[in-house]
Amino acid sequence: MSGSEQRLRGSLSVVRPAILGAEGAFETFITISADGSVNAYNGHVDLGTGIRTALGQIVAEELDVSFARVVVVLGDTAVVPNQGATIASETIQITAVPLRKAAAQARHFLVSRAAERLEMPVDDLTIEDGLIRGHDNSSVSYGELIADETIRLELADDVQVKAVSTYSVVGKSVPRVDLPAKATGELVYVHDIRVPGMLHGRVVRPPYAGVDAGPFVGTSLIAVDEASVRDIPGIIAVVRIGDFVGVVAEREENAIKAAAQLDVTWKPGPALTDLADIEKALRANPSTPRTLIDKGDVDAAIKAAAKPMQRTYLWPYQMHGSIGPSCSVADYRHGTIRVWSGTQNPHILRGDLALLIERPETEIDVIRMEAAGCYGRNCADDVSADALLLSRAVGRPVRVQLTREQEHAWEPKGTAQLMDVNGGLNADGSVAGYDFATSYPSNGAPTLALLLTGRIAPTPTVLEMGDRTAIPPYNYDNMRVVANDMPPIVRASWLRGVSALPNTFAHESYIDELAAEAEVDPIEYRLRYLKDKRAIDLVNAVAERAGWTPRPVREAPEAEGDIVRGRGFAYALYVHSKFPGYGAAWSAWIADVAVNKATGDVSVTRVVAGQDSGLMINPEGVRHQIEGNVIQSTSRALMEEVSFERGAVTAREWGAYPIIKFPDLPKIDVLMLPRQDQPPLGVGESASVPSAAAIANAIYDATGVRFRELPFTPERILKGLRGEQPAAPAPLPPPKSAAPLDRWQNPFIKRGGILAGVAALCAAAIGIGAAVLPWRAIAPIARPDTAVYSAATIARGKQLAALGACAVCHTSDHGVVNAGGRPLEMPFGTIYTTNITPDVATGIGAWSYPAFERAMREGIHRDGRHLYPAFPYTHFAKTDDADLQALYAHLMAQAPVRATTPRNELAFPFNLRPLLAGWNALFHQPSTFQPDPAKSETWNRGAYLIEGLGHCSACHSPRNALGAERQTAYLAGGFADGWEAPALTSLSKAPIPWSEDELFAYLRTGESRFHGVAAGPMAPVVKELAALPDQDIRAMATYLASFNEPATDRSAREVLATGLETGTAVTTAASAGARIYQGACAVCHEVGGPPLFGSRPSLALNSNLHSDVPDNLIQVIMHGIARPAATDLGYMPAFRDSMTDRQIAELVSYLRRQFAPGKPAWTDLAGTIGRIRQTIAR
Amino acid sequence: MRLTVNGRNHDVDAASDTALLYVLRNDLELNGPKYGCGLGECGACAVLIDGVAARSCVIPIEGCEGRNVVTLEGLGTREHPDPVQDAFIREQAAQCGYCLNGMIITTKALLTRNPHPSEHEVLEALRYNLCRCGAHIEIVRAAMRAAGHALEARD
Repeated sequence: MSGSEQRLRGSLSVVRPAILGAEGAFETFITISADGSVNAYNGHVDLGTGIRTALGQIVAEELDVSFARVVVVLGDTAVVPNQGATIASETIQITAVPLRKAAAQARHFLVSRAAERLEMPVDDLTIEDGLIRGHDNSSVSYGELIADETIRLELADDVQVKAVSTYSVVGKSVPRVDLPAKATGELVYVHDIRVPGMLHGRVVRPPYAGVDAGPFVGTSLIAVDEASVRDIPGIIAVVRIGDFVGVVAEREENAIKAAAQLDVTWKPGPALTDLADIEKALRANPSTPRTLIDKGDVDAAIKAAAKPMQRTYLWPYQMHGSIGPSCSVADYRHGTIRVWSGTQNPHILRGDLALLIERPETEIDVIRMEAAGCYGRNCADDVSADALLLSRAVGRPVRVQLTREQEHAWEPKGTAQLMDVNGGLNADGSVAGYDFATSYPSNGAPTLALLLTGRIAPTPTVLEMGDRTAIPPYNYDNMRVVANDMPPIVRASWLRGVSALPNTFAHESYIDELAAEAEVDPIEYRLRYLKDKRAIDLVNAVAERAGWTPRPVREAPEAEGDIVRGRGFAYALYVHSKFPGYGAAWSAWIADVAVNKATGDVSVTRVVAGQDSGLMINPEGVRHQIEGNVIQSTSRALMEEVSFERGAVTAREWGAYPIIKFPDLPKIDVLMLPRQDQPPLGVGESASVPSAAAIANAIYDATGVRFRELPFTPERILKGLRGEQPAAPAPLPPPKSAAPLDRWQNPFIKRGGILAGVAALCAAAIGIGAAVLPWRAIAPIARPDTAVYSAATIARGKQLAALGACAVCHTSDHGVVNAGGRPLEMPFGTIYTTNITPDVATGIGAWSYPAFERAMREGIHRDGRHLYPAFPYTHFAKTDDADLQALYAHLMAQAPVRATTPRNELAFPFNLRPLLAGWNALFHQPSTFQPDPAKSETWNRGAYLIEGLGHCSACHSPRNALGAERQTAYLAGGFADGWEAPALTSLSKAPIPWSEDELFAYLRTGESRFHGVAAGPMAPVVKELAALPDQDIRAMATYLASFNEPATDRSAREVLATGLETGTAVTTAASAGARIYQGACAVCHEVGGPPLFGSRPSLALNSNLHSDVPDNLIQVIMHGIARPAATDLGYMPAFRDSMTDRQIAELVSYLRRQFAPGKPAWTDLAGTIGRIRQTIAR
Repeated sequence: MRLTVNGRNHDVDAASDTALLYVLRNDLELNGPKYGCGLGECGACAVLIDGVAARSCVIPIEGCEGRNVVTLEGLGTREHPDPVQDAFIREQAAQCGYCLNGMIITTKALLTRNPHPSEHEVLEALRYNLCRCGAHIEIVRAAMRAAGHALEARD
């Protein structure tokens, strides 16, 4: 660029009159600035396909500038033309046409101006990157021609575009312009937008998950209790409008907490359509038949068929499954409203937003940013509306990020679809007739906030989109095709391939069935009915590339062990857009599969995917689209199906909705037909369309069994191979109320079926307690001066406090250490732990040592009241005097904290503490620890620590009906806080017996290679034990090991462990539970998986999987491990809000079956899960 | 709380149980790690902690104290990309690119512990990183290129 150009301010634009806005408003397609830069505007957006790059190529080509000079602007409603939604693979085929013409028009204008300037005929001029040269080497640049003028050309229709033969940029592979930014973390996505003053919002969705039609939509909210989130810092607002509920906070993590914690009351769940049997639901859904074609005499032809064939094909509900849940930022200000969105239809969204907030469209600017790939309509529009509502409520910019669970549950699904084919063969093997009916329930999914706020009525309207590729590509003489248009059952819209994918599954499976019956090679049979020349060329080219051998009659393949292999063909011309629509690229597949007859696993080993795309703007981009379609549609065919319970979507994370993983990829051989002389065609979806049929046909080739319903899961394949009809999953057994009788019930935790024991406790205690004198108070003192204690004593006391894990009970969640207030739930009410900091008024600052000692040894408060034995004085009594003194010194040396703890909430007669005197008389021996001279010093040290302050048996021993530890079953296992405290003796269920070394490792680090990691209430205990020296931990391990069988050496244990792990290695995913394991658990638990920060506990060795009770496994799945014993162990997320009870039950049963194969199945999982879920609710 | 991210210390005013992901994105304004599932399932949020791949959506900042966190931005820039980033750009190993962060970080972690992985090892290392667009073929090629394998030219 010369210096003179940089000073020029003019521009040349090609525009068309705008539909919206003031008189004279226009929409711009291209602007060439006098500085030589080029901006190209297109109303479609880049959904991750690289379309931005291809559009840049088209403009560079027609304008004769370098590709690098062109900036493509997509999706900002303030500047781009309104060209509708980015759907149906239309961008290149349709939307790019005016852009291409605009570029050509600009070039023509500039060239003719140059001809004048240079005084030469146009034909004598050449252009190179915007510089026009004459034959005499005179030249003038575009910028110089524009100079300071503002030139505006109205887009003409009859513009002469370049001949394809002259292309130098289009048709060449060009690297995508967006990848360097994406690979280095530059600001690219709507998720990355940060606006000054921006707040963070989260929404709370209604319980009718994924359903958007019916009178309950927008009318189900009863109440929102704002007080329920008052303790969370930085909450700006709780917003409710109809069924729309949202929270806004200064910080994102607090918005997340608030959304989870907000107490929202909904009306009881509406009765939704049961989707356990999709076919039944679709048949029952009201519909209007729409005949798309009716030629010949179908009824007569089928009646006369030699071999009538009636078939039904069924497609499940599927998801876009965008990897990034939708996100948006909205900034609502008077007069100017800006919304950053990942929408695929900025102008349509702008209309929706205007309707939602009752403002004119012209006040709203929707700025489209890139988002995670979507393959149709996901939640991008929904979240934009959510953000706008929240921003309007608080008057500041708000960013809303949907959760994974919300995106999964609420994204408009690719709908289930039912295809009925009636037809058959004539005696000569020709097709008698083809009577095809397709049922497609969708309404296109209105933007959710419009429904939730009641701005639009939740009436189920019908979107006529079931007709895509509904007419088969074959020239059948007698053919009728009917689309049964029907309203949605669950929220649904378009997903890649739309109805063409299911329709083609039926067409291409059926013709394969016809060919098999006619005993004609399936490709040859198709070619008899295929009249389209380009289709025939493609089919032949793909057959040749794959080395297809004609197979007129199916021959059973030679099995390799359990594996049989097969090969299938399918073809489609994807016909899209409003019926009758038009074709995108032609596509044909040959799929090779391997089917494991023992497990039912189907592996797609290779796909030859051929495509005729017409002119390919960026051939490498086309290849990527073909590969992407092959991989995604293989995933859809093999494993994808949305799950429902009582009609609501339950698949809310990647375990319940698995997608294909790297090791399962097919080899893909892409064949792109050279058709650069033909008009360009959409390539975004075509290669998906033949997928399911090609795979089904290959499975038939391998096994001789036809599968007419997706997905081809191992269960479905096994059932098919065994000739069974697929059945809906068996319902879970009804929850039982009573727990098994052999289960010990801890009265100090809340739990059903305990009242009898409590009554006995009362009776006994009253009888004995009446004979005991009340205790006297010990006078309060001024807070003692801890200077009398040595630093060493105080330090020792600190260790002892850690051993006793005082702070674990005496600290509330998010509270100050030892300031008390933690609620301990009991069957007869709630006890709150006390403040044991040396505050005189509210803590133990007024306690003399004798008062402290009496409490520790006898369970008596300084004021003479009995302490409840939830406080383990029965153990602490064993502590020697020096240690108690040290502990006292440490407690008194803490900083005093003034904190009044809540009053206990105990019902009569449990609030009568004197009764405990009777309990103590029965069960408490206040004597210090006596060493056993027959044992080693180390053993005795361990015994002192464990039986005394460590009070391990308080949780790890069973208790009798009166709540006292059973001395005859010392350390034989108990319960604490809803978690099983497993047996520490040879009664342990651990598959590898505990050894001293493993006990040491576990207590020292929180992890044992052979047993697992500390979780639940044990994690903080181990964390506390970090204060103790190694020799004390070793002594504890020595003592505990003495209750176990003598250990084998480590190498023997390692052999045992490896044996258990290899014997339980996961090789197939033949159940919902197995798939949840693979999607949610295996990443951190699969033996030999890629290392991640934290430990990798081996489930085959884990004690909890081998226990008699499933409680700990359920607890850890629901709660995760948020506070591990040590940060080195890593963290486990809580799945309670991501999985239903039924999914957890399926997972838990699977884990038991898989990793503890010798153990009986757990019973009443539903009951246990429900009980644990209830404790969370409280 | 003090965090060391991409070689620099940052004092962060957030609760200790805040997931690292939100602090990286909101307080440190880094774009590399992405929210994908919040459950450690998909890998979009991956970072390196002391050189090991980590899922920042499930690790609270208290677990990162005293450790060295490296994000996509810490590997390299557009002008000076890390060899793994460079290989991903050269192989055009993305469609929408949302999973790209996790793919690059996971590959980086793999090459740190195994500089010459086989294709099978690459596939297994990436097993728990989800891509929805189907860019897998190019992603594997990129990882192989970064590992120094000669790649077959594509027709």
